[in-house]
Amino acid sequence: MKRAKIISAVIMGGLLSIATGHASSIKIGFNVPLTGFAAADGTSALNGAELAVEQANAAGGINGDTIELIVYDDQASPKEAVPIAQKLIEKDEVVAAISGSYSGSTRAAAGIFQEAGVPYISAYAVHPDITRAGNYVFRTSFVGEVQGRAGAKLIGETLGAKRVVVITLKNDFGKSLAAGLKESASDYGITIVSEYEYGIKDRQFGPIVSKVKSDQPDAIYASGYFFTAGPLVSQLRAAGITVPIIGQEGYDSQKFIDIAGAAAEGTIITTSLNRDSESSETKDFIREFERKTGNKADMVAASAHTAVKVIVAAMRKVGATDKVALRNAIADTSVVAATGTISFNALGEVLKDVQVQIVKDGHWHEHSVISDSKLLAPPNQ
Amino acid sequence: MLYLELFIQGFVQGSIYALIALGLTLVYGLLRILHVAHAALFTLGGYIGVIVTNATGSFTLAMVVAMLVVGFAGMLMYKLAYEPLLSKPPYVSLIASIALFIAAEEIFRIAFGPYGLSYQTPPLQGQIELFSDFYLKYAEILVMGLSVVLLSALAWLSMRTRTGVAWRATVTDPDMARAFGVKIQNVRYLNFFIGSSFAAAAGVLVALLNNLVEPTMGSVPSYKALAIIVLGGLGSIRGTLIAALLLGILESFGTIYIGHLLGRDAIAFAFLILVLMVRPQGLMGGKL
Amino acid sequence: MSYEITLLTTMAISVLFALSLNFITGFCGQISLGHAAFLGAGAYTSAMLSKAGVPFLMTIPAAALCAAVLGAITGLASLRVRHDFLAITTMGVGFLFVGIIRQQDFFGGEIGIAGIPGSGFGKVRFMLICVALAFTFAAFSLYVRRSWMGFVFKSIADNEDVTRVLGIDVSRYKLIAFIIGTGTAGVAGALYAHHFRFIGPDSFGFVESISVLAMVIVGGIGSVWGVIFAAALLSVLPMLVQFIDDYKLLFYSALLFSMMRFSPDGIAGLCTRLSSSISRRTTESDGNKR
Repeated sequence: MKRAKIISAVIMGGLLSIATGHASSIKIGFNVPLTGFAAADGTSALNGAELAVEQANAAGGINGDTIELIVYDDQASPKEAVPIAQKLIEKDEVVAAISGSYSGSTRAAAGIFQEAGVPYISAYAVHPDITRAGNYVFRTSFVGEVQGRAGAKLIGETLGAKRVVVITLKNDFGKSLAAGLKESASDYGITIVSEYEYGIKDRQFGPIVSKVKSDQPDAIYASGYFFTAGPLVSQLRAAGITVPIIGQEGYDSQKFIDIAGAAAEGTIITTSLNRDSESSETKDFIREFERKTGNKADMVAASAHTAVKVIVAAMRKVGATDKVALRNAIADTSVVAATGTISFNALGEVLKDVQVQIVKDGHWHEHSVISDSKLLAPPNQ
Repeated sequence: MLYLELFIQGFVQGSIYALIALGLTLVYGLLRILHVAHAALFTLGGYIGVIVTNATGSFTLAMVVAMLVVGFAGMLMYKLAYEPLLSKPPYVSLIASIALFIAAEEIFRIAFGPYGLSYQTPPLQGQIELFSDFYLKYAEILVMGLSVVLLSALAWLSMRTRTGVAWRATVTDPDMARAFGVKIQNVRYLNFFIGSSFAAAAGVLVALLNNLVEPTMGSVPSYKALAIIVLGGLGSIRGTLIAALLLGILESFGTIYIGHLLGRDAIAFAFLILVLMVRPQGLMGGKL
Repeated sequence: MSYEITLLTTMAISVLFALSLNFITGFCGQISLGHAAFLGAGAYTSAMLSKAGVPFLMTIPAAALCAAVLGAITGLASLRVRHDFLAITTMGVGFLFVGIIRQQDFFGGEIGIAGIPGSGFGKVRFMLICVALAFTFAAFSLYVRRSWMGFVFKSIADNEDVTRVLGIDVSRYKLIAFIIGTGTAGVAGALYAHHFRFIGPDSFGFVESISVLAMVIVGGIGSVWGVIFAAALLSVLPMLVQFIDDYKLLFYSALLFSMMRFSPDGIAGLCTRLSSSISRRTTESDGNKR
């Protein structure tokens, strides 16, 4: 009897969906680096996004329709991202898209999505010009400058350091972070003793380490990704430099700790994911992600997960056919996600607390939270 | 003090470059092929080094295994990829080598994942204090020491043994060497074996210094090594070694003092072009 | 339809770019591993002028000029070196270009130049402009190949010393090849900038130079039709076969390697051999019929 009920329910459901013409899936575009130098972050971001889609579909999708993630590998290259954006819009006809990629490609693609009137969310790319592409572009993570300013407060006020050496990754990510730090440095009594730059392919930092040692700073603000920060921090500590090293969300991965080993202890970063968070959203995400992939959660995965959640929440309100309505719904979002409470200002930027994490006993843990809404106010236009 | 540190770092980096570039110059001297895919063997060496160390706990064993396995891999590369192309124009083997290199990087990514591997317990941590506040890491000492050992062994091999004589003869004049009964095929295999195993050693050492091996770690050494062998004078082993060390030191000082003008990698090529304009045959190259 | 137009535009720009390299490497035998630098020179010139308000069409000659000047300098440098040295030197020029652009905020530094305005012609007419330019240069290439200049080029490619002995000013012809080839690459760069609307130092690196060289070689070094076909195909192949996305680089490099291994004279070579074996078979069978 039970089986007959199930079968008839399925048939009814099938007939119903055919009748109402909702047999097709809802397409969300996703450009992410799966090959090339950023493949590690890209794979993680993809896993985060896929987890969110799975969870949304398990909860009934969008009024019964399944959500489909259309994924293309952009190699973190703007040159690849542009044709991908064009393909997502013109061929796959997605109703919205997310960038799981770095700033270069996100920026390039944002213009294309804006012109086509397709809502586009940058999960974790930090360059300020991304949201300036237009009102269809949003960002669920901090603008580079905001995070830099938070870093200034962290170093000057919380840690009480005065003389700081800045080591900057020579790309838009590193540069916008450094710009934010420098902007607010004097507000917190910080003097920047010197600034050194390095390229994304560098792994040997000997010359910079030696020079920093002779500078004798109170703290070091170093931007980079886990594959540059790991070697850098390891080499700084090996040279006998004991002052605090402050990084940002680019370090936010267990891999950083794997690479730097014992040297990673005590490294502090500004980021969006609090591993010790009391929020059920965050705790659930961390647990489910580890169960799905076998890897520990990191910031890029959490951000991609959040971006999907924002779109799904908006779709549940207004459906997934009218892009203008969808865009407006996203603009009015107020969603609690793994990376905090998300709501956007007029530019599409998010205002939320900065999580400060520290490496303790070989894992990321909560250090403090920065909640200064004036300091953290993102640009408005 | 700073200058001494920069100098030593440059020397260490230069030693690594020397180990990699040597294989490239050996192949070029013998076959006139620009063996770009050589850098893939460097990466393979790094991966094997980390995997074997993590599995067995012995760094020495890892080094030996890496050098042997990659030596054979290099020979295989010659047999399958270069031998069939020997009669074709030089750009054919160059493009084939580049294609091989890209394919190898992709295979590393697919096989070992994009995250890269690290040592579970990094060997040779720690350092010794030479004099007031000047430290030398054990790893750095190993790099310099091992390079000297390997290069001396090579010099001894080529000068003092029959195999070495046969090899030098083949480089100078293959037909004459063949007439004297030298098995050219074996000389070529030996050539690739030695060059590749040195690259593997470099890979293991770099993995030690960075505690990270990644699929793309060979991309910078691939073209930098090319610049080095041209700088040294194509085919000249001595020139390659000098150029390698010189470049290491130049980069070390260059990143600090002219880093805002030129990226670290561009320094190599700026230097190369400068030298070539004055001496088109490279530092120690023979007549063009 | 919109997507197909985008693809066609990309193809046309790649064809123009590849033909420009074919001029230098295929016709004149000067192997260049840094050709993307000239694409970049043209792109940056055009983009910066365009953002300053200069109309798109007027940026094209400026782009060509800038690239050609750089090309002339490279050409002069290349006169002193040959073959493998030349290959590495041109590679060095490529790296130097990117290295310098990266460091100067004037060019946008690492971040590159975004928000490049559209051509002002609309999608379809822009595509037609690109196709027309590619077509024109292809016709020009075919013409040159049959002309005296093409003959000299081929002679230089085959044996430079003999050509010099014959009294021909080899240096002058090499320089001409470089200037024409790089200037045209500059034009392609201007189109590139307005098609992708975003350029950065990474767009013009070593990988780009190798890709375009691969197009020339796969097409058949020196063969205008072969290069057109190969460039058109290889430029959009990754888009068309997205299902192999994760493996696309592997596929691409395997294809390249097989080409070198089994048919180093490219597709053109394949076709020539195929057609001659067919005609041989027909004449043989004719013979047998008698």
